[in-house]
Amino acid sequence: MSEKWYPRRGPHVPISLSMEDHRPMYRQIESQLRDFILSGALRPGTKLPTIRALARDASCSVITTQRAYRDLEEEGLILTRQGRGTVVAEITEEKLRARRHEAVKAAFAEAVGTGRRAGLTGDELHAVLDETLQGDQTETGGDRL
Amino acid sequence: MTRGPIISLRDVSKSYGAFELGPIDLDVEPGCVVAVVGPVGSGKSTLLKMLMNLVPPDSGEVSLFGGAFPEDEVAIKQKIGFAPERATGYEDLSPRTLRELVSYFYPGWDQKAYEVPLSGTEIEEDRPFEALSSGTQRLLIVALALAAGSELLVLDEPTAGLDPFARSRVLAGISHFIADERHRNRTVVFATHAMEDVRLIADHIAFLVDGELLGLFETGALQERWTAFWPERAPEGDIPGMVELDSDDPVRIVSDSPGETAEALRARNIGVLRTGALELEEILSHLMRQRAEGRAGSPRARE
Repeated sequence: MSEKWYPRRGPHVPISLSMEDHRPMYRQIESQLRDFILSGALRPGTKLPTIRALARDASCSVITTQRAYRDLEEEGLILTRQGRGTVVAEITEEKLRARRHEAVKAAFAEAVGTGRRAGLTGDELHAVLDETLQGDQTETGGDRL
Repeated sequence: MTRGPIISLRDVSKSYGAFELGPIDLDVEPGCVVAVVGPVGSGKSTLLKMLMNLVPPDSGEVSLFGGAFPEDEVAIKQKIGFAPERATGYEDLSPRTLRELVSYFYPGWDQKAYEVPLSGTEIEEDRPFEALSSGTQRLLIVALALAAGSELLVLDEPTAGLDPFARSRVLAGISHFIADERHRNRTVVFATHAMEDVRLIADHIAFLVDGELLGLFETGALQERWTAFWPERAPEGDIPGMVELDSDDPVRIVSDSPGETAEALRARNIGVLRTGALELEEILSHLMRQRAEGRAGSPRARE
């Protein structure tokens, strides 16, 4: 659904809705926007498309984009001001770090689950983590988390 | 502007020989997209035709924009863009003539809306309609409905028989219709067999089976509620929320109350290898089976 028929005005966010993903479309929009915001790809203050423009871009319904924006607003990631549109919220570094930490924790929890089902003990899981870290060439210096 | 539902059906029924539609009660709120879904012969087209008064009901009330047929027929129809499954009366007309005719009758004609579904398709403007391919005919019928500048769009299988490119342009056309900046309370009702269309654009599903409306379901709520679990082993006895148990390896449970099901599995010390959302098609087939079992009075029928 990425072809465009109308010249686009205003801000654009590249949302792509997948038919492989069985979650509702608003969940897909939410998770893509959340990733862009938490990774810093969309900086605080960035103007987002209106719910109508976003619906036209993604070929979905207005109720879908409305729901996605409402949920993200409740999470504190975006802000809608009457007459001024929707922007990415000012998120403190502390909060950003906490959100990223949550994501990592969730990924680890899933990995631990996989390990447990494979019958690994805690020590063995630690060993797997060490092994993975040794194989990882990325140098982050630990300043992101 | 109309307050309350834009479409309201009360106790509406219609029978043709052995086929019986209804009694149907249905309210459609302005601003939303409703997909009418159901097996072949479930009454989808009849339901849509009732909205245009092409099929008058045997009993019950059909009301649109707060008015009724036949008193308010002209006023109602001016507010509806309708794309029937098959166009009759268009045979000898060329796309050019059709466009000129329809744009003349609808003061709110929206040329851009006409072009969205047709962009990318070569239209032979002066060929008679009946000589065009069936896909092109469909695109034209839908384009004319989209461009009528109406408040309500009623489409009977708008993407049937289209190639994937034309199909996504029709969906874009529907999306542009509903998300138009100038008309903020537009509503769409479309019949379809294409689950992808439903998932992408329908806020609600009106599910018809054998002439009975099983309900008006929120698409997202259905998708979030119905969940598949793959537990390590099959549980003994009944598990709350469990709608189906496939005990062949890998064991799979379908639940319409995932919270309860997960808790029950935890309580029995049964690990879950994987959970996942269900395809809409599978959810609808479960709803259909539950209805059949309810009818048969089976003990598996859920409240």
